[in-house]
Amino acid sequence: MDLIVQRRIRQVLKGDQNAFGEIVELYKDKVYQICFRMLWDRHEAEDAAQETFLKAFLNIHTYNVDKKFSTWLYRIATNLCIDKIRKKKPDYHLDAEIAGTDGLNMYSHLSSGDQLPEEEVESLEVQETIHQAILLLPEKYRSVIVLKYIEELPLQEIANILDLPLGTVKTRVHRGREALRKHLRHL
Amino acid sequence: MTSCPKQIVHLMHEYLDGEIEEATKKELKLHLDTCADCKKHYAELKKTIALVQSASHIEAPAGFTAKVMALLPREGKKIGIER
Repeated sequence: MDLIVQRRIRQVLKGDQNAFGEIVELYKDKVYQICFRMLWDRHEAEDAAQETFLKAFLNIHTYNVDKKFSTWLYRIATNLCIDKIRKKKPDYHLDAEIAGTDGLNMYSHLSSGDQLPEEEVESLEVQETIHQAILLLPEKYRSVIVLKYIEELPLQEIANILDLPLGTVKTRVHRGREALRKHLRHL
Repeated sequence: MTSCPKQIVHLMHEYLDGEIEEATKKELKLHLDTCADCKKHYAELKKTIALVQSASHIEAPAGFTAKVMALLPREGKKIGIER
């Protein structure tokens, strides 16, 4: 995948915009997922994901081809989301419960007439609880947990993305896990 | 669990990150075998991880790439701000 990406980037640098479209196709789900788990709002996540790619396009000449492209791209995405969380809701994690129930949830993308089997409702409720627990995490723990357990990235890559020392990332993963445990152990 | 050394919880996290050394791994295992509270704590952590990982994976909305492409400055324009 990296080789294809490097080739597409060279094409973009030469002015071929279609090549950028292929990069978007390759990474859109990953980037959207990071944004959604960080912001917990489908519209905000879509905006943030679009902005991530626009920013990547405009700054593609600053990307160092010797480094992993996904690291560079995910850094743009996480920084954008962290900015949004800080700007919009300085105490986001404190009113997360209100934000979560009032915003879009797992139920809202089912069409209204759908009847759900019981176990599916149950699993949606579990999902909802998990998302709430993630959302209740302060943003510095949320970003490492999303990158580690939803994107399944190695700790060193998370350190690169967030531009933090490896030790700090480890501490945040530990604390994030403990905080999640408190919310999820009774499930 | 208050009577257990804080170090034990730290070791659990090291283990979960796959960064534990053989000797300390044995120490942890021995402790978990004998301490019900720590064993419970560890099981809860494992469960938490499994739950978080089960968070259903989601995909970008339909038409996402086309929307991004429409946002890009038109072709022919120079890419980048400072050049």
